[in-house]
Parts: sequence; structure tokens; C-alpha cells
Amino acid sequence: MATSIRSELQSSESYQELSDRLRFLRQNVSSVVPKIPGLPYLYISPFYLLFSVFLLFPTLYTIYLSVFSYEGPAGSEYIVSIQAWIFELTIPKISNLEFVGLAHYESLIFSDSVFHLSLFNTGFIFLIQVPLMVILALAVAIVLDSKFIRAKGLWRTLIALPVATGMVAYSTVFLLLFEGDVGMINQVLMSVGLDAVPWLTDRWMARITLVIAITWRWMGYNMIILLAGLQTIPQQLYEAAEIDGATMWQKFRFVTVPQLRPVLLFVIVSSTIGTFKLFAEPFVITGGGPANATLTVVQYIYRQAFVQLNLGYASAVTVCLVVIVSAISIVQVRRGGAAQ
Amino acid sequence: MAQIELTKLRKEFSTEDEYIVAVEDMDLQIEDGEFLVFVGPSGCGKTTTLRCIAGLETATDGQITFDDVDVTDQRARDRDVAMVFQNYALYPHLSVEDNIGFPLRISTKLSTEEIDERVIETAELLGIEELLKQKPKELSGGQQQRVALGRAIIRDPEVFLMDEPLSNLDAKLRSDMRTELQELQQQLDVTTVYVTHDQTEAMAMGDRIAIMDDGMLQQVGTADDVYRQPTNEFVAGFIGSPNINLFTAEVEGETLRGPAGFTYSLDDPSMVEGRERVRVGIRPEDLYVASDGSVPSEINVVEHMGNENFLYAEMGDVELTVRSGSQIRPEENSTVIFGFDEEDLYLFDATTKESIKTKTGETALEHEQFEQAQQ
Amino acid sequence: MMDEPQRETALKFGSYAFLLAVVTLIVVPLYWMIVAATIPQSELFSSSIPFLPGTQFLTNFEALQNRLNFVRTIWNSTLIAVVYTLLSMLLCSMAGFAFAKYEFKYKEPLFYFVLATLVLPIQALVVPLFLLVSTLDLLNTYLAVILPWAANPLGIFLMRQNMQSLPDALLESARMDGATELQIFYKIALPTMIPSLAALAVILFINQWRLFLYPLVVLQEEAMFTIPIALSQLVGAQRVAFEQIMVGTTLAIVPIALLFIFLQRYFIKGILAGSVKQ
Repeated sequence: MATSIRSELQSSESYQELSDRLRFLRQNVSSVVPKIPGLPYLYISPFYLLFSVFLLFPTLYTIYLSVFSYEGPAGSEYIVSIQAWIFELTIPKISNLEFVGLAHYESLIFSDSVFHLSLFNTGFIFLIQVPLMVILALAVAIVLDSKFIRAKGLWRTLIALPVATGMVAYSTVFLLLFEGDVGMINQVLMSVGLDAVPWLTDRWMARITLVIAITWRWMGYNMIILLAGLQTIPQQLYEAAEIDGATMWQKFRFVTVPQLRPVLLFVIVSSTIGTFKLFAEPFVITGGGPANATLTVVQYIYRQAFVQLNLGYASAVTVCLVVIVSAISIVQVRRGGAAQ
Repeated sequence: MAQIELTKLRKEFSTEDEYIVAVEDMDLQIEDGEFLVFVGPSGCGKTTTLRCIAGLETATDGQITFDDVDVTDQRARDRDVAMVFQNYALYPHLSVEDNIGFPLRISTKLSTEEIDERVIETAELLGIEELLKQKPKELSGGQQQRVALGRAIIRDPEVFLMDEPLSNLDAKLRSDMRTELQELQQQLDVTTVYVTHDQTEAMAMGDRIAIMDDGMLQQVGTADDVYRQPTNEFVAGFIGSPNINLFTAEVEGETLRGPAGFTYSLDDPSMVEGRERVRVGIRPEDLYVASDGSVPSEINVVEHMGNENFLYAEMGDVELTVRSGSQIRPEENSTVIFGFDEEDLYLFDATTKESIKTKTGETALEHEQFEQAQQ
Repeated sequence: MMDEPQRETALKFGSYAFLLAVVTLIVVPLYWMIVAATIPQSELFSSSIPFLPGTQFLTNFEALQNRLNFVRTIWNSTLIAVVYTLLSMLLCSMAGFAFAKYEFKYKEPLFYFVLATLVLPIQALVVPLFLLVSTLDLLNTYLAVILPWAANPLGIFLMRQNMQSLPDALLESARMDGATELQIFYKIALPTMIPSLAALAVILFINQWRLFLYPLVVLQEEAMFTIPIALSQLVGAQRVAFEQIMVGTTLAIVPIALLFIFLQRYFIKGILAGSVKQ
């Protein structure tokens, strides 16, 4: 007994000694190191370094390709061709480029009705899905933030789980839930005597099905971010509002919303960008159909680039998409920031 | 311990659309072991000056020396100064023990054992040895204040800097801490620079007081100096509670004529010779009821403080405050005539606001009388 | 009019009802997934849909393991996501700290540039990215998936927003105490930002965990597959192995659940409260 305490003491002493020695060493080092000029630049440099290595070239190359037309015979010569599930990816050897100037852009803006439809579809999902999801996520976050809720961790985990489901699985599940008469939802509806809903075959219903699927998957994720934001709001503000006789709605309106504004802006902007990059869900669940009613812009890019091998045209669509998303985000940030 | 010298210290801030001179060409010597208090209205540059001494701001121009060593371009961490912040700035993730020990752990070669000893010593000195294991958020304001002090004194720094350290405490605690801080400073004998906007605090605590306004040092002196011999109207108006009564009077030969029939004949008219008008200052405690006095006024409110009364009155459109004995109880809305002694009269230049006349002297005599009475 | 206790009870009841409804909608598909993972496929498409989990989980898993070495796949996904998350947390909080707490030349345009890169659609840049990664000889390496977005602009934005609430006095105090700028970052800024870091970790981990199209292109060897890629291999032209997909998905959810449980204690209210009043 006595010896074990002794050895414990010794070991903790030697641990202390070691940590002291390490500390002195660190001090020696930091006293030799001069004041780093431009330290903040050092802090932000990894981003710029990684960006120039990995993203600068693809971005510029995309802009470059957008004024060329790829003339190679489809499928004959390619660097890589991947087939997985319903994905067909062929990266052709880039040759036989013919300079076409702004012709791609011209046809995109003036004559490509499929592109216009894909913009409309994406815009529709954006206008319905983003507000729906953010409001729902905020409501759940506020409920989970209130004092009386028990087992918060369990609720939180369950609600955020869908985002962990892989694309394949989640899409398969939604397919099996919504498809035709055999889908579980329609079976349940019919068993209680209601009509089956044409979830995937009606143009508007297909869009709504997508909205439901995306909200199911991403609501919890955004809820977690909002919840983290709610927890940084000082309790005193609510107490002050309480004393001033604020109702629950007024507390929400005049304390929660202004205090949460930066986080809310973050959620809205990132959801917006996410919507415009939407690809997997329509690709798997609706296949872009019926009659291209759920074809999104990125899906169109994919189709142009990897299936029809119009790399030049796909690049032009990409550039257009980036311009549109940038414009919307800038407006959101400006309005969200200006109101502060 | 160190003597601090500021030479032509200047700090400018410029943003895209604004250019502000926060501190303008300040010369000041702070003696070794002195307790110097910077005081002034908010935005006067007192905190900026403190931050320049701390090394948290780089001076735009001028020089700062500690014991004749130029520290102007030294980093905060190389200056051996400790600072107590208004909001205490305790590290929320560290226990009290680790908060107090932090500076030693960061910048000294003391072993963990020695640091622990010093932390306990310091905590005992401040009476917070019970709290060592707690986190800052579990402490009251006064306790947090002590921890912040502990973190400052443990390093045994050359200079203490304090930025409104008492302003977040309630009145009772504030006056307790005021005394405690003074005792602590005397005990440690460390040069201390203290910033406050509260002139009472400044008067009570400072060996000397430096009054600032609009980026410029107005006056440096003991509490007595700045109260009795203010260099200008601003200092006179800022120091003293309640505030000094100020109004403009026309000079007619040896007579001063003010609002609502204020007339006063100077015993010594030489000092207003050649002037058309002057600013007159009379402290509330120097006015007394006198039927032959020169200050006719209408009483608005009487505040009974128990040991004394504050009378708020009007002389024409000038608001007056009078501090009187508790036996003086005029009716509200009655007219009372107040008088004053010429030695208590302040006069300031009407345009430059510089002092022409301040209190003239009986303190030395009174002091001697006091000493004699003591013996 | 209701009196106060009644109102409170109604509020509690309403809140729980709302949570229960949301959770039900979320959990039903997940539950159904688990059911599907534990029954033979023949039952999945029988006329009566089973509502209770079966006993076939291990059998289904064995089939999956034999076909794809799924253990290796889980290891790949976990390794990539963990390394990516740790690295990215460091890079994002460094950049966020600089943007929130330092003044430097060109700060605004540099920050807006970071934000601007958010709009680049990964899926649309896959072709040139593939060409680049193969030129750098990084095809079929973990680095190919970890590095490009390691300094995640979303994470930088989030950390900058949160670090702005860090009181300047705290950093200045450390500066006065003799801390170097680096020490201020890792001894003061990082520990006080733990709740934000926990949220950031969740975001980064999930983002990496679910990536599909880009890894599909740059990780072509079966030994390098991540979970989403591996599962997509199960959907062949001849037979879709639903029960195996469901096994894989069920397993894929486990790490995320663990992550949440592990980070639970950091999602605590107001770690900054009481230290500095703003």
C-alpha cells in the first residue's frame, strides 16, 4: 500500500519534471523566434496554398474549355471510364478542340430550353425547400434549446442522423418509399382508403418529392448548426426581455433572431449554394424526370460532360451556374449584413 | 519597479473615412512607485495612453521609456508590465489556480512546484485561497476581480496598469476594493497607472491625477492641486462633486456683473484689467447664505443628505448647486441670497478658458494649525 | 386565458409532441432501413412488408464482406474523414481566427475570395480535377480526397463568425502575460471556442463522409473505396443487392452516431459566460 502511493508520487513528480522541462524548451524556442511579420497571412496561407494547387487550375481550365467545342468521336478515346450503379463517367482525352468563342453562352442564354428548364427547376426547389428547411430546423433547434427538454442528446442525434446515410442508401430508401403503387407511402395511403399519389410521375409532385427528400436529409444538419448558435446567446438577454414583459414571440423576434443572425445567414447561404449544386437526389430518385421536370443545373452539366461528352458546353454551363450562385449569395450576404 | 516617461507621445487612428488623434503630444513623467490616475470623460484618450504604455497599441510618434530604457517598439510581453482589464478577462477554460499561474507558466523558468507555491501565496494575499479549483464563471464579480489582480501581481511586474478595474462592481464593493487596491499598491510598491472616468475614485486613490480631455493632457497634480489650482475651466468643471458652478460675467472696472443681478466687486481688480468678460467659477461648498451676498437665486429642490444639504437653485438661466449645512433648509421656490469669499473664487479667460485666478491660500496655514492642535 | 402553470404544461406538451413528430418522420425511413438490413431480400418484396427486424443481419453482412471487403471500406472512410476533420479544424480555425481578430492589409478582399470559392461546384469541376490529381500522381491515395478541401471555406466562414465573439481583452490579457501570438491561438482562442469547434467537427466529418462523385473518380482501386463508392458497386445491372446496401448504410451511420455521442459534452451552454461581459 505505502509503496504504491510512493511510486505514484514519484511518477507524478517525474511527469511534472518532464512537463516543466518541455515548457522551458518551448520558452527557449519562442524567445529565439522573432516576432513573425504578417502572422495573419501565415494563418490564412493554407487556404490559398491548397486553393492554388487544387482548385485554381480546374477553375481556369473550365473557363478556358467553355469557349471551345470538343469534336472527338464520343467514347472512342478516353482516359478513364467508370461505371458504378447508374453513374456513367467517361473522361475523354481532350483533343480536337475547336475555338467557338462565346457561341456556347449564346445558345445557353437564348435557345437552350432544357437549360432554362433546369434553371427553373433549381429555382423552384430553392424557393420552396430552403425556407421550409430553415424554418423547420430553427423550430427544432429552439425547442431543443429550451430548459425543460430531457434527453437532448438523444433527440439531437436522432434528428441529425439522416445526413449520415450514404447517397445510395438514402436514395434507394426514398425510391422504395415513394415509387408507384408498390411504394410504402402509397400502400399506407391506399390501405386507409385514400388515392395513391403520383409522387414520381407527376411533374409538380416529383418536384415536391425532391423537396421532401432533401429536407429529410439536411434539416438535422442545419439544426445542429443553429443549435450551436443558439447556445452562444447570453441568457441575460432573455431574462432582460422577460422582465420587459416580452411575449415568447417577441423574445424570438427581438432577441433570438438578431443574435442568431450570423449563424442564420451562414445556414441560409450554405443551403442556397447546396441547392444550386443539387445533383445526387434528383439523379437517383427521379432521374431528372418526368420530362426533365426535376432536372437540375448540375445534373445537366453532368449529362453534357460525361454522357454526351460536350466538355466545352458543360464548362459554359458551369460558368453560368457559378455566376448565378455568386449573384444570389452576394445579395443574401449584403441584405443579411446590411440589416445588422 | 520603474519610472515611466512619456515624451511627445502621439497616437492617431485612421480608418477609411475618419482620422482621429487619440493622444496628442503628451509629456509625462511617472515616478517610481507612484500611483498615477488618468481621469477624463469617455473618449478623452486615457485608455489609449494606457494601452500605449502597455504595448497593446504602437505609438504613432514619440517615446516611452521605463527607467530610461526605450520600450516604444517593444512588444507587450517584453515590457514586464501587468494589466487588469475592466471586464477582468479571465480565461474561461482555466481554473482560478491556472488563471493566476498563467503568466508564470508562460514566461518564467519556475518549476511547477514553485509556481504552485507562488499561486497559493498570491491567493492568500488576496483572500481567495478557497477558490483555487473553481472556474471563473462560478465566481462573483468581486471574486473575479481578485483573481484578475492575482494574475497581475504574481509576476511581480515593473508596472501595473489598470483599466477601470472597479467599474463593474457595485458601490459598496467598489469602495472596499478601492481601499484594498491602495493598500496593496503601497505594500507592493509598484508603479501603477490607473484609468477611470470617475473623478471621486481618481481623487481618492491617486498620488497624482492626470486629467485628460480630447486627447490632450490638461493637468497633472495631487488631488489638492487639481481641486484648488485647476489650470483651466475644464479641469475645474471635471474635478469636484457636485460640479463647480460656472457662468459668464461682464467686467466693469472692478465689478463683475452676471446673470439675474449678480454683482461682485473684486478686492483685487488687477487680474481682470483689460478684459470685457470672464468666466466665473464658485464651488458649491464655498457658497453660504448671506443677506449681503452677491448671488441672488431661486431655490428649486432641496436634497437632505442627513449631514448636509444640497440646494439646487437658479440664478437667471444659470443652474446653481449649493452644498450647505443640514441646518440650512430654505423653502422650495423661495429666493435666497448666497455669498462667497474672494479667496474661493475662480476666474477663467472667456475665450481660452485658462485660469486667471484660482483658490488662494489657506491650506498650508490650516495644515499647520491642525498639526499644532494635534500636539 | 390560461394561468402560468397551465401554459407551461401546454408548452411542454406541445414541444414534446412536435419533437416526437419530427423524430418519427426522420426515424421511420431509418428504421425501415435497419429492418431491410436484417431480412432476406426475398421478404423485402413480399406482399406483406415486414415491420420487425429479422435475424439475417450477420448473413447479409457476410455476403457484403465477401463481395467487397467492407471492413476495409469502413476503415478507409473512417481514416479519411478523421484525418480530414482534424486537419481541416486546424486550418479553418487558424484562418477564421486571423480574419476575426487581426487587422491586416487586404483582409476584406482576401476574406471575400474565400467565400467566393464556396460557389464552385465540385461535381462540375471533376474533369479538370481528375486530370490534375493524376498529374500530381495522387490517384488512389487518401491525400487526393483529403487535401483539396482541407481548408474548407465553409469552415473558415463559420470559425470567423464565431471567433468574432471572442473578447479582445482576453487575447490582450494573454499578450500582457507574455504569451506569444501562437500561444494566444492554441492556449486561449482554441480552448474557449470548443463548442464551435465541436459543431465544426460535425460539419466537416459529415461533409467528407458523404462525398461521392469526386472520390468515385479519384479512388478507383477497390482497396481504396469509401463507403458510398462501395455501396454504389452493389447496384449492378443484373441484381440490386438491397439487403447488402442496407447493411452497409446501417454500419455507415454508426460512426456519425458515435461522433455525436462523443461530442455531446462540448455542446454545453455558454462556456464564455461569466468570464467577460461584452
